[in-house]
Amino acid sequence: MQNILEIESLRKYYGKNNSQTKALDGITFQVMQGEFLGIMGSSGSGKSTLLNCIATVIRPTGGRIVMQGEEIQHLKGDMLAQYRGQTIGYLFQNFELLDNLTGRENILLPLSLHSVPEAESDRRLEKLASYLEVVDVLDKFPSQMSGGQKQRIAAARALILDPAMILADEPTGALDSKNAKALMEKMTGLNREQKATILMVTHDCNAASYCKRILFIQDGVIFHELRRDIPRESQQAFYERILKVIAQLGGGSANVL
Amino acid sequence: MFFKLVSRNSKRNRKENGLFFSSLLISIVAFYMIQSLSHQDVMIFLTKMESDAVGKLLLMIPLFYGLTLIILFFLIYFASKFQMERRRHEFGVYLMMGMRRSRLFLMLLAEDFRSSVTALLIGLPIAVLLSELVSLITARLVGLGIADHRFSISLTAIFMTAAGFLFLKLTAVLILSGKIARQEIGTLLVEAPEVGKKEKPLLFFFAGHIKKGKALQTFTFRQLEEQVIYRFNTLAISSLLMLAALCCFAAGVAMVQSHSGSEQHTLDYTFIDHSAEEVSRTLSEYNLETQFSEIMDIRVGLIRTEDGEYENTFQMESVMEALRAMPESEARDVLLNNFSYETAPYAIPLSEYNQICVLSKQPPIELKEAQAAVYIDPEFSSYERNHILNLILKKYPEVRIDGAIYHLINEVQTLRIVTDRSITLSFALIVPDDVFEELTGGEYSGYVNGVLNPDKIKGKSLLNAISEMNQKLDRTGLVYESYLQNMGRQLFYVVASSYITIYLAIIFLIIANTVIGVQFLMSQQKTGKRYQTLIQLGATYQTMCDSAGRQIGWYFGIPTVVAVISSIFGVRALFSGLLSPRTQGRIPSMLLVSLAMILLLGMVEYIYIKAVKKASNRNILKLMVPEREE
Repeated sequence: MQNILEIESLRKYYGKNNSQTKALDGITFQVMQGEFLGIMGSSGSGKSTLLNCIATVIRPTGGRIVMQGEEIQHLKGDMLAQYRGQTIGYLFQNFELLDNLTGRENILLPLSLHSVPEAESDRRLEKLASYLEVVDVLDKFPSQMSGGQKQRIAAARALILDPAMILADEPTGALDSKNAKALMEKMTGLNREQKATILMVTHDCNAASYCKRILFIQDGVIFHELRRDIPRESQQAFYERILKVIAQLGGGSANVL
Repeated sequence: MFFKLVSRNSKRNRKENGLFFSSLLISIVAFYMIQSLSHQDVMIFLTKMESDAVGKLLLMIPLFYGLTLIILFFLIYFASKFQMERRRHEFGVYLMMGMRRSRLFLMLLAEDFRSSVTALLIGLPIAVLLSELVSLITARLVGLGIADHRFSISLTAIFMTAAGFLFLKLTAVLILSGKIARQEIGTLLVEAPEVGKKEKPLLFFFAGHIKKGKALQTFTFRQLEEQVIYRFNTLAISSLLMLAALCCFAAGVAMVQSHSGSEQHTLDYTFIDHSAEEVSRTLSEYNLETQFSEIMDIRVGLIRTEDGEYENTFQMESVMEALRAMPESEARDVLLNNFSYETAPYAIPLSEYNQICVLSKQPPIELKEAQAAVYIDPEFSSYERNHILNLILKKYPEVRIDGAIYHLINEVQTLRIVTDRSITLSFALIVPDDVFEELTGGEYSGYVNGVLNPDKIKGKSLLNAISEMNQKLDRTGLVYESYLQNMGRQLFYVVASSYITIYLAIIFLIIANTVIGVQFLMSQQKTGKRYQTLIQLGATYQTMCDSAGRQIGWYFGIPTVVAVISSIFGVRALFSGLLSPRTQGRIPSMLLVSLAMILLLGMVEYIYIKAVKKASNRNILKLMVPEREE
């Protein structure tokens, strides 16, 4: 399997000299094609900054982000828009659906941005909608949907252009446990069946237990890494391992493992 | 700290809402202009000539002032409301941090006061300069000498402008900040909830008109739908205001155009109740005879029978019959009605009328025995009526004057026979001189027309020349009426109608545009999150600007197009309602002028749309800059 994303000593500093905050302080890791990678950390650890750097929402202070062999800091204008729209699919914590567009229109929005003929994607839309179980709400406005439906519509929107990688920022953050579970199952399914590469930031241990690998970040550096031993290790066992690391994280002690 | 905050905030408000701020500036200028009307050169001149009418007009100014105050209040109220809505969150934070409500209230008042004073400081000098400029231009246009122009600042106008403006702003802000300061912190901190969405979009019919195949088509359409459906009342009001502005402006300019240059000016003076000899004698007594190039008689007398009777001296059955046979038209009916009363017309001697013809550079008319020409004062004639009448006159209709048969020949004559416009003849007959003596029995009114010697008035504007001559003539005891006085009367109508209509047009247009523009930009800022999502989905700056541009185009376009179409009918209605019958005939040409003016305002609207697009592009660019979001 090949690397799809390479992060090399990525740094992001806020502020100047004395009052400088190091949100990311030299992070290096790779994401393989078809991987389901989780990033965990307490709030302020820099996990959202990391995701935002990859999503080109913020510009890193130093280091390299290479997506499919291309360094994304150098992207500009149309190429950047292309990257945001087609190379990555972004799943927001707050869904970020346009509330004046119906579900279908929201999902098809990226198509009109990247002038993809609609007919071609209609099949994909059908497939995604039925897989994500949102066929019923396609013609409703976001205000008429439940949180879970909104997030699944958002997921369909992120997937409609078949991006190389899905970036998910706390996708279960605004969902109740039942909806969160349903969403995570769908995401695992996408990863397993359609070989979708997913990078998910979360601090929900339950959601994280669906991942194949988890990176723990603290104070801007990678602090620990967990790999689920598939298929020998059950999800429950993996979940318990995650909990242990999280407990250590809080104390910030060095004697993990 | 408090004052620092106030000054920073009001500066930021000005920057973020430049469109609203510039509208305020324009309204200050308009306020001052109407208030300082009495200081305009033309008005100072008119006060000398037509003090009564000017007095009445100036009395109406407070009324307009009041009316504008009311209209502008709504503008300021709504625009300030948008501004406040946008800062709700900020207010909530102030309160959370322990700012007392009274202090927040005071802060808002102080902020507003500061920006109002800034607006006045910038606006008033512009207003004074502009009003001087308008004064000079109008004076030049009507031919008043500008040598005696004095720079004038109307202190009352400045005071009234400042007072009115501050009053409006403070009242609006008082109400709004009162409302804001009374709200719960929680409601302030939460973004104002968006209106619930309807299941079925109502505006499918124009969905198809937004160009297919463009990126973000659905998004553009939905944005527009939201704005149009939920703000339809604002749009409707704006459209009505635009309609009013277009009508006022187009009709006003066209009327000015029709008043000015409507007539040829040949005679400078008319001396009343004198003969040419008497006038010449008096003038030479005062050494003024060289000042005039022409002194000539013009007599008018009622046709009477040999017994001195006036009644039924004249019958024109054949003309009436020919008129009745004409295809039905308004002009024909007016003529039929007017002529049915013409049983005792006036007569004018041919030679004296011909002198006027020569002065006006028109061929003199010729009459043989038992022939007469029809004279109708320009006040009573119109293009259509003259046309109808000329058709009939071509056939030399037969008429009876005191029992004798005459034939009417020539076209209708309409040259002014005196300068005094209060002397008008709705129908008269031009007859050979001997016939005139015979028909009037030697009883007539004598007027003497004078034309100033062109060599003597060289280098002076005509109006100055006449003003000087008036002073000299006042000493001679001659009763006279000058072209200037009549011109003044006419000028008054022009100035009054143009000033008021154009003033109203500007006010209406400002309000309509500001309301639409500010509302659009505010809602764009409010829905900024959507644009950010689009960026995240890979929309380029260009795509979003295109989409916003199309939204603006439609958002402005709908009310504008409706207003423009309606205004064409509105102007037509205004013309037929307001114009004197004399000018009715010129409606087609005036409509053309109005159409040009409507187009001109269309251009203004276009420029405004451009400005709003620019502002919206700036908004979008701001959203493009990556931000840290936690």
